[in-house]
Amino acid sequence: MKTIVKAIAMAAAVLVAQGAHAQDKKFTVAYIAPSLDIDYWQWVAHGVQQKAKELGMDYVEYTSENSPAKQMDNARVAVTRGVNAIVIGPVSSTSTPPLLNYLAQQKVPIAFAGIGPQPGETKFTSSVTANNYETGLAQGKYTCELAKERGGSEVGMLSLPQDRENAQKYLKGAQEAFNANGCQLVQMLETKGLTINEAVTQANDLLTAHPKVKAIYGMYDQAGTGAAKALATRGLKGKIGVTVADGSPTTIQLLKDGAIQGIFFQEAVGQGMDATEQVYKALKGEKTTQNMALVMPLVKAADIDSEDAKKVIARVFPQ
Amino acid sequence: MDSNKTALISVRNLMKGFGATKVLRGVNFTVLPGEIHALLGGNGAGKSTMIRIITGAVRKDDGDVVLASPRGGIPKIAVVHQELALLPDLTVAENIALVHAASAATLVRNRSQAARAHEALCLIDPHLAHHALHRKASELSMHEGQIVEIARALSTGAEVLLLDEPTANLTAGETERLFVVLRRLATEKNIGIVFVSHRMKEIRQLCDVCTIIRDGMTVIDALPLTHLSDNEIIHQMGQPTERSVERDKRVLDQAGGGVVLRGPETSVPVLKGQILGLAGAPAGPSRLIAVLNGTAANADWEVDAKDWPKRPTSPRQAVQLGIGHVSGDRRLKGVLSQLPIVDNVLASRRVREGRHLVRGSERDECLGLVKALKLKAGSIWDLPSTLSGGNQQKLLVARWLGMPLKMVVFEEPTRGVDIGTKREIYELIRNMAGQGTIVVWWSTENVELLELCDEILAFDTEGRAKGLLPQDQFNEDALADLTGMAA
Amino acid sequence: MTTKATSMTSNDKTAPPPKSPSLLSVYRSELAIAIACVVLLVGVGFFVPAALSSGNFANILQASAPLVIMSLGVLIVIITGGIDLSVGSIFSLTGMVTALAMANGFSDISASLAGLGVGIVFGSINGALITLVGLAPFVVTLITYAVAASLAFIVTNGRSLGVNSPDYWLFNSGEFIPGLPNFILFCLIFTVALEFVLRKVTAGRWFYSVGSSPMAAYLLGIPVKRTRFAAYVISGTMASFAGLLTVSYILNAEATAGASLMLQAIAAVVIGGASLSGGSGSAIGAVLGALMITIIQNGVNLIGINSFWQGSVTGLAILVAVLIDRFSHR
Repeated sequence: MKTIVKAIAMAAAVLVAQGAHAQDKKFTVAYIAPSLDIDYWQWVAHGVQQKAKELGMDYVEYTSENSPAKQMDNARVAVTRGVNAIVIGPVSSTSTPPLLNYLAQQKVPIAFAGIGPQPGETKFTSSVTANNYETGLAQGKYTCELAKERGGSEVGMLSLPQDRENAQKYLKGAQEAFNANGCQLVQMLETKGLTINEAVTQANDLLTAHPKVKAIYGMYDQAGTGAAKALATRGLKGKIGVTVADGSPTTIQLLKDGAIQGIFFQEAVGQGMDATEQVYKALKGEKTTQNMALVMPLVKAADIDSEDAKKVIARVFPQ
Repeated sequence: MDSNKTALISVRNLMKGFGATKVLRGVNFTVLPGEIHALLGGNGAGKSTMIRIITGAVRKDDGDVVLASPRGGIPKIAVVHQELALLPDLTVAENIALVHAASAATLVRNRSQAARAHEALCLIDPHLAHHALHRKASELSMHEGQIVEIARALSTGAEVLLLDEPTANLTAGETERLFVVLRRLATEKNIGIVFVSHRMKEIRQLCDVCTIIRDGMTVIDALPLTHLSDNEIIHQMGQPTERSVERDKRVLDQAGGGVVLRGPETSVPVLKGQILGLAGAPAGPSRLIAVLNGTAANADWEVDAKDWPKRPTSPRQAVQLGIGHVSGDRRLKGVLSQLPIVDNVLASRRVREGRHLVRGSERDECLGLVKALKLKAGSIWDLPSTLSGGNQQKLLVARWLGMPLKMVVFEEPTRGVDIGTKREIYELIRNMAGQGTIVVWWSTENVELLELCDEILAFDTEGRAKGLLPQDQFNEDALADLTGMAA
Repeated sequence: MTTKATSMTSNDKTAPPPKSPSLLSVYRSELAIAIACVVLLVGVGFFVPAALSSGNFANILQASAPLVIMSLGVLIVIITGGIDLSVGSIFSLTGMVTALAMANGFSDISASLAGLGVGIVFGSINGALITLVGLAPFVVTLITYAVAASLAFIVTNGRSLGVNSPDYWLFNSGEFIPGLPNFILFCLIFTVALEFVLRKVTAGRWFYSVGSSPMAAYLLGIPVKRTRFAAYVISGTMASFAGLLTVSYILNAEATAGASLMLQAIAAVVIGGASLSGGSGSAIGAVLGALMITIIQNGVNLIGINSFWQGSVTGLAILVAVLIDRFSHR
């Protein structure tokens, strides 16, 4: 019994100390990642951390391990710990309403980075995402151009799982662009494991089933890498165009080598930075922007060493 | 027997084949309420196949099986096997109540469970009902476990009780108590009891009538036992009746190669080529055997001999030293069930001789052994499960046959084996001894020890060594006295 | 395993000694899987003729190589009656360690050996905890599965790593024997070697003995613990080798690379006729099982069925394989 009392007393002391800590006007921002097994979320984390440092905020990080329940726990833990603001990459859009209700009660500002909240939700400070539809439109158009340059009109796609909202938007944009520019999407294969090895196999299968395909639309980074690898093995490097969304050191290298013709960069670091800036403004009582849909900038092989490209890449992954 | 009683089980002209082999070629079998019926037959005669057809585990090819309860409908048949079918980690009460749960969702109510179990057990053993209800099944003795199983079977309303060698693991006292219970069940509750055993003495003690099956056919159909002599029974089972009366004239080598087994307050010198019998309940002999085959964790025995360690540290070391081991517990300690016969036979040789490759010559080696043992096998590449129990047992002996061994340890090698096969195994044991191998042989059947051994070390039910009987003092009563076990 | 009943009773002394079972009867269930693979391929070819092109065969072989090698390792463990859940994580961690070593200036060979060390170390840990401490294989390999998976993230902070060594691709796609790419060569070597060990080497028979009846095997003097230990080390090492092959192929190491492979490897072994209760299975069967899984994936992609159906189709294949196995042994 005594030990329990002691433990409670100690826990209380810690909480009080933390509360006191929060009093001295130094804000803490928490970043809740859906999982850390994808580079992307680590890069967002980097952006949040960098911006927090710039703004004089403390930084803490949680991982939801792709579980909505863990995500909710993380938010509660963060609030209990005295965190002032949250930047989140949610496990899914649909997992957000209870979270937002809770944070609204607690009056903690929250900004989304990468994936937005469920449509119709309003109880959040800001949502910084890529404009998937616009990007799909642009990448579809460019992919079709590549196919035409190579004397064909058939294109293939290595897609994210189509149960994801961003994947559906990408596809919608791309389809419209293909139709408008006279290309046919002859096959779309969805990934399960998001690994390069799987993408290589899928690209090979795609080309076996549809030998007339002249360009491949890669919806995620590993897809571009896998497609480039498959083409290299078949001696078709450059003869079939490859575009990819996301961007990473690996795909940038492939772009330089001419194995990929264009990358639509998803500004992971930038999203983290922008989201952090928005919650900071909210804490300061300044005006915030609720919807920030960033169109993903295209960098082609020829421009990779330009200043503009370097600025873009700085907002993609940590240098 | 009243002839106007309706039979609980009536089997007529039953046929069954597995592939090309006809296992049953016309079996008749009738069980009346209130009788104790001995079901006899050699290994592979078709007893177990018939039982499995009656219980519905196997489909018949042809013939009639009529099951009729005097109460109307189909009578419940409960089979109690030699190996216990209790869940070791559950209590006796739970074990009994388990079969009464109406469905998986039935709540477990301890009080009513215990009451029901108590009631069931009281019917046959009020003492046990009083003491054992909340003990785990694993803590029971073999006999108690069997009683619990029978109680459980009866509590479900079984009208036919099928006992498959229930006495194999029981002491004399336990056997006697079981028989009292069985007789009472037959007379008071009018239950039909089928008793499968290889022990002539017990059959005479307990049973009223007997049916003998031989090569898949009924040769004796429900004849009162008083009408048959022992020799007639053995003859009808197709077993050689002659008993090797004259002992073999082995000259024991006094010179060397012998060992001394030292135990608590005991010291047993054993010469090369000598057959040492171990008699008594499992506790004592199994401790000595564990030391000999290298499985003992903490031992009270040790071996005193030249070029031997005091105790082999593992079965591997024991085998490499030349100590063989044959167990009657074929399923657990004997047969490699998923490997073909050839691997089963040669496994010991490969270890003993440190063979690294599977040789082509092993085929002939195995065929030779199979032939020498008259092993009835389809092919040496078949799985051991295609063999009858007795043939599986011979397979285990084959492992050690014709190898230069220092010692072979037999652990109830004739358990569940018919008389014919037993005789063959005795012969093999004698041959091994004849080649100078020390044979240590534990059996719960005192008669066979008395027949074959040069000396017998008797253990009591507590596992203490009670005395060493030299051949000239062999005597069934003396041995029964020392061990507390009947033959 | 049934051959014609040649009775060996004492009576027929004149009967000739029985012949060894023919290869056809020994490999009966393997033949059934091989036929099933061909049927599947032809079925896909009906929809997409290119499925039967040599290019597609090459794709299938390349895609199946890591799974084939991993399955062979898992097979050994399953024959001994165990299970190895850690192979997928070992596969991933091997890649990360190798790529990391290369990025830090190690030569191709020493980096690969470091990668292979992952499998040996984790296999040994599995084996030691199972045989010496006596923990259940499922629990032990569940632990190492989790640890190796997290280590795969830890070593590079979750980032995937490219391999820049110019010649490393030769390990997978080069040709020690002209005309035969190395990944096929490795698969052939491992399959033949393992099949030989399992059938013709005493230690190979021990794997079956231990899986079949551990107590009986122990009493026979078979070194049960050593045999089981060896099984886990082999399994870990093979998983590592498969990991190296994949890194060499795509010149990239990813922390999640092997995540889906563990269940596929177990499935391949089961399709190949092994029983999860131990004591049965063959190397050729496991390889055919791995090929069948790859052919299914390939077919689903070629026909353009939603790839989420792959799991269901593979599940169905396992069911059919197990049912065939069950009824052919009745």
